[in-house]
Amino acid sequence: MIIIKAENLSKIYNLQRQKTFKEFIPALFGGQKTKNKFNALSYLNFEINRRESLGILGKNGSGKSTLLKIIAGVTKPSDGRITVNGKVAPLIELGAGFHPELTGRENVFLNGSILGIKRVNMEKLYPSIVEFSELTEFMDQPVKHYSSGMYMRLAFSVAVAEKPDILLVDEILAVGDIKFQEKCLKRIKEFQSQGSTLILVTHSPGQIEQYCQKVLILDKSKKTFFGSVKEGVEKYNLLTS
Amino acid sequence: MLTMSKLKKLLANFKLFFSYRELLFNMARREITQRYKQSALGYAWVILNPLFQLLVMTFVFSTIFKISSFSVPYIIFLMVGLLPWNFFAQSLGSSSNALVGNANLITKIYFPREILVYGTIIAKIVDFLYSCIVLIPFFIYFQVILTWQVLWIIPIFIIQLILTAALSLIISSFNLFYRDIQYLLTLIISLWFYLTPVLYPIEQFPAKYRFIFIFNPMSVLINAYRQVVLGGLPPNLNSLGIAAITSVVLYIFAYLLFKKLEGQFADYV
Repeated sequence: MIIIKAENLSKIYNLQRQKTFKEFIPALFGGQKTKNKFNALSYLNFEINRRESLGILGKNGSGKSTLLKIIAGVTKPSDGRITVNGKVAPLIELGAGFHPELTGRENVFLNGSILGIKRVNMEKLYPSIVEFSELTEFMDQPVKHYSSGMYMRLAFSVAVAEKPDILLVDEILAVGDIKFQEKCLKRIKEFQSQGSTLILVTHSPGQIEQYCQKVLILDKSKKTFFGSVKEGVEKYNLLTS
Repeated sequence: MLTMSKLKKLLANFKLFFSYRELLFNMARREITQRYKQSALGYAWVILNPLFQLLVMTFVFSTIFKISSFSVPYIIFLMVGLLPWNFFAQSLGSSSNALVGNANLITKIYFPREILVYGTIIAKIVDFLYSCIVLIPFFIYFQVILTWQVLWIIPIFIIQLILTAALSLIISSFNLFYRDIQYLLTLIISLWFYLTPVLYPIEQFPAKYRFIFIFNPMSVLINAYRQVVLGGLPPNLNSLGIAAITSVVLYIFAYLLFKKLEGQFADYV
């Protein structure tokens, strides 16, 4: 059973050179270039089965985050197809939906609905979210008074409140202190054993060995390797050394 | 076949939107609660603002410029037009920031983007309903008598809502590509305000230029509000019908445009 399938997946960004009309109009009539083309992903093919997790390795600007965005449905591929069979929970940059003036509690419910969780379910999940975050006594305070560690803890707790089919993680495993990090990783392991697929973007081959069954290595928008972890990590170490 | 698949896609879009309805109201609530937090008078500003606006404008335009409002006191005449206008102008104003201000969400998580636009409009509807409290003491003091015709404000308001939603969808998405829109918008709204009979009765506008009101659905709506609230008469159904059709057509166009551009929002914001 395939959970994610990419066929000739490509993404070209048309970067607008001029940000305002004042710059754009003269450029348009003056025959200047108005767009810069940028290949973020070129003709990517891979398949991931259910109960498998994927680690994505690559240098900065190799297209890793773009791939995550396409899987999350935030941006559309310019060419090719992506098939995603399941509910995606993005963990890319936690707390994106938090508002500083709202209390922890209000933010939890707001973030829940951004993730598409119904209010009835959120009422049930709420106690476990608070417990996981260890922020019980701060829930009625505006999150602007939170420390950045507390902020991340709450955001992570909401994001992992419900078991997703696909969990997207973009180097966020630096949440709070070591103890909390371990708790987060344990939760991710639990999801995996219950059948969730993890898509992990990282620079650390060690994390991939620990959590993934497949590796995708990207270099300058192209796939250089897709396959087993052992081979992939060896290849990556060769590339970077 | 092509239209069939398009129709299916449209239906799927509506279904998806419906499944996110809780987010819509949470977004509206966020908009309302965040705005007046850490202000002493809080939500009372929603009433105080139009109140002061009305007093100042009444002094300037009735006492100094002596604009005639026929049988009703000028302040009553003004408020029936100004409150719905404020709702319109403030909705458009905040819609320019609806997508741009939520860039962090747009680039991270998928949900139907029109929710961000509708959310700000719902927040403005709540503001509008509260601001209508201002009417009560003045209506009592000047003994304005309402008739059953006043119920016409419901369909009139719905038409206004459709028009507002249509323009907001367009403004919010264009502003994402070119931030000039928000500055242009301030200019257009103030111009539009003077070309809509809010401050003056339509009869005071030079007759030979009065044709411009045909192209302005807001003037039809403002006149209709006055007619049903102050005149105790049904609205002019011909012009209201034209305004309704214009608004619906514009809305369909705006929605399709918005959905077409939606896929690019995360790349450009």
